[in-house]
Amino acid sequence: MTRLVEVPTQFDDRSFDQFASAFAEAAKDGERLLFDAHAAEWASPYGLVGLLAAGQAAQGTGRASGGSGERPLLTAPTHADVLTYWTRAGFFREAAELFEIHGKVPRVKPAEESDVLLPVTPVRAAEDVHAVVSNIQQRASAILASELGLDPKATMGFAMALSEACQNIVEHAGTGGWVAVQAYHWRRKLAKRVVVIAVADAGVGFRHSLEPTQSKRFGTRWGDAAALEAALIQGVSRFRDPGRGQGLAGIRRYLTRWDGKIAIRSGTARIAIVPKWDDDVPLKDGLPAFPGAQVLIIIPEQGSTKR
Amino acid sequence: MIQHIDVHAVLQESVSGVYTDLVTRPTGRVVRECIERAMATAAADVAVARIDFTGVGCIDYSCADEIVAKLLRTRPGVLVLMGISDGHREAIEPVLAGHRLAVLIERPDGTLEAVGSPDAAAALLEELVARRLAARSPGGTLTLT
Repeated sequence: MTRLVEVPTQFDDRSFDQFASAFAEAAKDGERLLFDAHAAEWASPYGLVGLLAAGQAAQGTGRASGGSGERPLLTAPTHADVLTYWTRAGFFREAAELFEIHGKVPRVKPAEESDVLLPVTPVRAAEDVHAVVSNIQQRASAILASELGLDPKATMGFAMALSEACQNIVEHAGTGGWVAVQAYHWRRKLAKRVVVIAVADAGVGFRHSLEPTQSKRFGTRWGDAAALEAALIQGVSRFRDPGRGQGLAGIRRYLTRWDGKIAIRSGTARIAIVPKWDDDVPLKDGLPAFPGAQVLIIIPEQGSTKR
Repeated sequence: MIQHIDVHAVLQESVSGVYTDLVTRPTGRVVRECIERAMATAAADVAVARIDFTGVGCIDYSCADEIVAKLLRTRPGVLVLMGISDGHREAIEPVLAGHRLAVLIERPDGTLEAVGSPDAAAALLEELVARRLAARSPGGTLTLT
């Protein structure tokens, strides 16, 4: 039997919980999953890497529960523009390994010169982080400086933030993940350009990663929300080395300087450092369970951010 | 006597001949271990190790911690960083401040600056002068002797 998981027509961080809920419900008995994206009209980088993480998790779920171990199915978007964009963003290149794809996927190369600053890129090892940082510096510096009005010095900070976000996968997820970076005009919220970093994996998540060293400290409060709070707000790490935990702290410093936002979803919780231009909530618990961790970083165009 | 260590060359030889960025813990660890080996084989009269970051692209917080903070914690000699860009400083300064450590940076004109925790930075400059490893110019700036 195949269980259906609908991909939201507008698939981004705001509709992700709807997707996670459908995924959790469909995956609970270990049947083969069909991710239906035929009606998708738009997906943010967060949506695309999140869908890949779901595909990764669906494979694990099937095997663990004695399922067939078959790859989950994915119905590709039917709208030609959407299909082309997903292809240019590098989604199908990665999805081909995870899903049995139904629908015509155009033969378009992932973008090299466009707002897709970094197509969907796998992150499995430190070497991948090197490649990501090297690529992004070549492609992002012009957009960060000229279009977002960031000081040229901010380009290196951006690369640092990206590096640390990717390293969370390598060091904590216990599996591979994906990163994507894109610049776009964000009409709904800011009416200005933003650069978005999206990182997702279907690994063990923050709670599992921090449990051996942190759960006692939190006692009955321990859970996904407490783990996210420990990692992002208190800068704790699963490693006892006193220098650990620098990565997320560094990302926070960078985002504070450039009025940016970070949100991390893991398990059943989501935490965010919310700038004044946004109305997100700092911490949400009791969300539909979704494996691993999904990170969203937004850096807005400088100069006239709504306050 | 001053020992000169070229970090870009160490990175190219030990980790990657392709990339110029100091990113990820494993990279930082390998580079630090190479630097430590080079320092261990230096002549006995070496008082200062000048770690040259010229040609290094990005340094992330993990590498700043793995290389600079750990060298400061484990090596007894004086470390001087050179070839440090504004971007490098963005990673190194907060990491050292978090450890209450400080390091010397040699600017292109040869003058020295201590960055990191303010208390540790002040103590470092005092020690440098006391040990006569650096001298103050009439204008108040410090340079290695």
